[in-house]
Amino acid sequence: MLFYAVNRLALAIAIVVVVIAVLFCMVYVIPGDPVRIALGPLATPEMVASFRAKMGLDQPLLVQFTRFFASVLKGDLGTDILSNRGVATSVFEQMPYTLTLIVSSMLWAVAIGIPLGCYAAIHRGSLFDRIIGVLSVAVIAIPSFVIAVYALLIFAVHLGWFPAIGAGRPGAPFNQLHHLVLPSLAVGLGWVGYLARVVRASMLEVMGENYIRTARAFGLPRRTIVYRYALPIAVLPTITLLGVGIGHMLSGAVFAEIVFARPGVGKLVYDAINARNYPLVSGTVLITTAFYVLATLIADLFVAGLDPRVRANLR
Amino acid sequence: MSVQISDSAVSSSHGWTSVKRGFADPLGRIGFGLVLLLLVAAIFADVITVYEPTKMLPRDRFQSPSYEHLLGTDQLGRDLFSRMIHGGRVALMVAFPAIGISLALGIFFGLASGYAPKWLDNTLLLLFDAIRSFPTVMLALALATIIGPSLQTVILVVILFSAPAYARIIRTQTLALRSAEFVLASVATGASICRVLGVHVLPNIIGPILILVSMDLPVVITTEAGMSFLGLGVRPPTPSWGSILNDGYAFIRESPWLAVAGGLPIIIATIGFTFLGESLRDAYDPKLGKVS
Amino acid sequence: MSKQSGLTRRQTLAIGAAGFAALVSPRIVFAQNATILRARSYGDIQVLDPAYRKAAPEDDIMRSIFNGLVRRKSADSWEWELDAAESIEQIDGKTIAFKLKPGIKFSGDFGEMTAEDVKFSYERIADPAKESPYKDDWAVLDRVEVKDTLSGVIHLKEPFAPLWTSTLPTGSGLIVSKKAVEAAGGKFETSVPAWSGRYMIKEWSPKQRTVLVRNPDWQGDKSDFDEIHILPIEDEKTAELGFEAGDIDFTWVSVSSIPRYLKEPPKGGKFVRKPSLAYVWLGMNVESEPFKNPSVRRAVQHAIDAAAVVDAAYFGAAEPSTGIVAPGLVGHRDKVLYPYDPDKAKALLKEAGVESGFSCTLDILNKAERASAAQAIQAQLAEVGITVTIQQHDSGTFWSIGDEKAGEKWKTIQLLLNRFSMQPDPSWATAWFTPDQIGVWNWERWNSAEFGELHKQGLVELEPDKRDEIYKRMQDLMEESGAYVFLTHEAVGVAYRDNVTPGLQPNGTPNFVDFKKA
Repeated sequence: MLFYAVNRLALAIAIVVVVIAVLFCMVYVIPGDPVRIALGPLATPEMVASFRAKMGLDQPLLVQFTRFFASVLKGDLGTDILSNRGVATSVFEQMPYTLTLIVSSMLWAVAIGIPLGCYAAIHRGSLFDRIIGVLSVAVIAIPSFVIAVYALLIFAVHLGWFPAIGAGRPGAPFNQLHHLVLPSLAVGLGWVGYLARVVRASMLEVMGENYIRTARAFGLPRRTIVYRYALPIAVLPTITLLGVGIGHMLSGAVFAEIVFARPGVGKLVYDAINARNYPLVSGTVLITTAFYVLATLIADLFVAGLDPRVRANLR
Repeated sequence: MSVQISDSAVSSSHGWTSVKRGFADPLGRIGFGLVLLLLVAAIFADVITVYEPTKMLPRDRFQSPSYEHLLGTDQLGRDLFSRMIHGGRVALMVAFPAIGISLALGIFFGLASGYAPKWLDNTLLLLFDAIRSFPTVMLALALATIIGPSLQTVILVVILFSAPAYARIIRTQTLALRSAEFVLASVATGASICRVLGVHVLPNIIGPILILVSMDLPVVITTEAGMSFLGLGVRPPTPSWGSILNDGYAFIRESPWLAVAGGLPIIIATIGFTFLGESLRDAYDPKLGKVS
Repeated sequence: MSKQSGLTRRQTLAIGAAGFAALVSPRIVFAQNATILRARSYGDIQVLDPAYRKAAPEDDIMRSIFNGLVRRKSADSWEWELDAAESIEQIDGKTIAFKLKPGIKFSGDFGEMTAEDVKFSYERIADPAKESPYKDDWAVLDRVEVKDTLSGVIHLKEPFAPLWTSTLPTGSGLIVSKKAVEAAGGKFETSVPAWSGRYMIKEWSPKQRTVLVRNPDWQGDKSDFDEIHILPIEDEKTAELGFEAGDIDFTWVSVSSIPRYLKEPPKGGKFVRKPSLAYVWLGMNVESEPFKNPSVRRAVQHAIDAAAVVDAAYFGAAEPSTGIVAPGLVGHRDKVLYPYDPDKAKALLKEAGVESGFSCTLDILNKAERASAAQAIQAQLAEVGITVTIQQHDSGTFWSIGDEKAGEKWKTIQLLLNRFSMQPDPSWATAWFTPDQIGVWNWERWNSAEFGELHKQGLVELEPDKRDEIYKRMQDLMEESGAYVFLTHEAVGVAYRDNVTPGLQPNGTPNFVDFKKA
């Protein structure tokens, strides 16, 4: 276990290092000079030179990279060239909005997807099972931005049941919740299907295991077998999925934040790219990627810690 | 959101029977029907549609469906049905080359990685995993700003994300086959690496790969539509489902038909390919049905 | 403003396709018994220092928390009224005397507003060493003379026609506290060291909202709303959705939505259409092939049916334009010189030796209306054999494509669809097309010394008839060059809750302090 954990951790760190390197290179190929954008076209050559020196842009590339890396390690992600605020500050200000969206999407997907999958597995081959099977594949396939636009069209524009834009008034939880419904519908719908499938498959497998059969032979009530013995094991694979899911949901969140004009890191990075605000772009992508890598890492370690079989199968 | 095929190795191939079995599944038939519909519509787009997809009649903007315009018209008075059908061409024009190139690269790097010395294998693996760790949309956004929006950019983005995934799966399969007896035997008779890979390894992994491809098509279509939705894909006036949907979003109160003409085919295409891929996969090897 | 100002300033003007925020709450929210106005702005604040402001949304907020000597009236014509000044008088073309109202307080311990503060505020913008992007607004300022605590004299080096239209009643005419700004190190960004206006900033959540509350120290007439929440929403279509859902009380809408709202006002709201000063045009890079050839440029002018382009893009909400100076301003022209005439266009292309047609690119900003206009242009040019590839850019790319300092892209521009916004003085329109603007904002790279000279004359000429003549002549020159096809001034659509009476400048720009509960 320890060996696996160390290995997995090393991999995660290596990935983040590669990601930082890629990001650093990317900033150098995007057209448009960040200095010019920060200073405007009237900037004199002297101003440009001093700004470059201030940002360390006059140093050789390798030196710049080392510095960039060192400051990232220190938790300094640079300064937003338009607002002059720390990049980390901006990102962490927006992060809660995106996390709220992702977590609420995940929660409702879990709350609906797992019981559906479980029920389908218990009633294997029934009409309900088949319908759930088809529906879950269908909702997995439909892109979240299509769902977002349709949800907006139907529930906000035509029916007027839910607000169309924004995250709601601060300090008004009910209002914020109301604003969260449509975006989390768009982000989470596919996951209902995904989770239902996974739980169904894993439930069927678990139900075939010896100890469950033994429990049955002992005449334990079906309900007890399903909910006390089978389900806890069957839910395990979903935990790794949740780790991966965070990454997918981040992508979905970008669209949802754009369509519903919600604040969040997706909106932040979209706007930053439009404004050529490089430090903000690389900072945001770095943090979200690290976040994703961390989520996957935790999920993997968690599962490996719980179940040695999973550990053996993971690589 | 893709449904992934597990990395577990598959050693046997029984292609044709599995295709037949795939069609025995009603879901597979629905999927095949939808895909066929899509292909026929794309190929015979010029025959099916009456109007040029780019022909503008601004005075006839935002019409509801009628006999003349089956799906109504958009903000420039262009026939939405025609744009929707021609949008299918764009989707496939992106999907096939992108998947083809990804596959070629994936096979190359996957085989290389599977047969390479440990250090190279590890380096490649790290690279694959790093690329897959990026939040897709964010990297796509950044790339589109670097290269400029166009269909080629979309194809590039797809390759960047698909090739490593293919490579990783092919690597696993290769590793498993590498120690299989018939491969070892071939090596023992002095066959070159290229021969071993080409004659013994590749044919044995092509089955699962093709299924993977059919499952990946919806993801590619989604990527193209998503980027065009954000204005980073096709250039106007070329119709793409994503750009039609974006018009539908912009003019959501003027007419719901733009959103229908943009979104519906995306739903049909993704569901069609997914159903087809799923049933092919189940038929090929039910074990693959377990999500990794 | 003889020459240029910063990118950010042009962006201020150009980006606000339908920018601006405004207010008023749907049901007027009585949270904590406070009346709140929720206004949408098209961008978040970055800098609230008048000398370094970046975009119109900041202007709207600054005019609520600071005072100028005069302020622009909420009215249907371009007028100003006294603000911090008790009196102001133009003694001659170069001398303006003013006297401040007594007792205007800066917040904190920074005391009463004095003539010293006026001197500091205007001279820091004019001082080239201070690098204010707005230095041209005070380019002719010689000095501000302090007579006593409250009175002073503004001395100009030469007469300056836009002084009363686009300098004094705008952000460049606002007065900051000398002591406070110096204590803050000479400039500030979003943390305002001291305010004096009707409102003060209570809270700023980046990307979310800026909250203004009534300034308790303000002695003058009280504004109606206790709080004004300004919500940055870039896309006006999104803002419309928000308005209809009751999330905001005031917004500009997209031009193409105007016809729909005229027919049926938004749910729970009212709608007005305002004339816009902005101008949209199709430009041609005179240094690029084949637009180097004047006949080709003239052919394009004749090939474009501006009325059809405008109709396609704005659904009948806007009228075709005759130049860059909007109706109602000095220098507005009655008609274009080279109207739509496809046959003439074809003949000219033949004359230029390109009768078989050619391919070229058209660079546009990535917005729905711009894309519609571009596609209409594309279709019309196809009629005369010109194949156009539309290149859409996000705002970051678009606003730098013609900038020589931002890369090499300016060399490859051929056709260009662009929009600049305006202050109510014709010099604000002509400023960007002079020879010294080539590669800065003059992306057509049209080089006319005569135009540059006329622009300078227009700034110091105070006689309206003569100015009228100058600016008409300048637009004739632009059109004769062949490099410009004038399309439209657009229109402004303003939606507001029916329990609110908005305070609007003639072009719909909100004066937040003038908003009233209906």
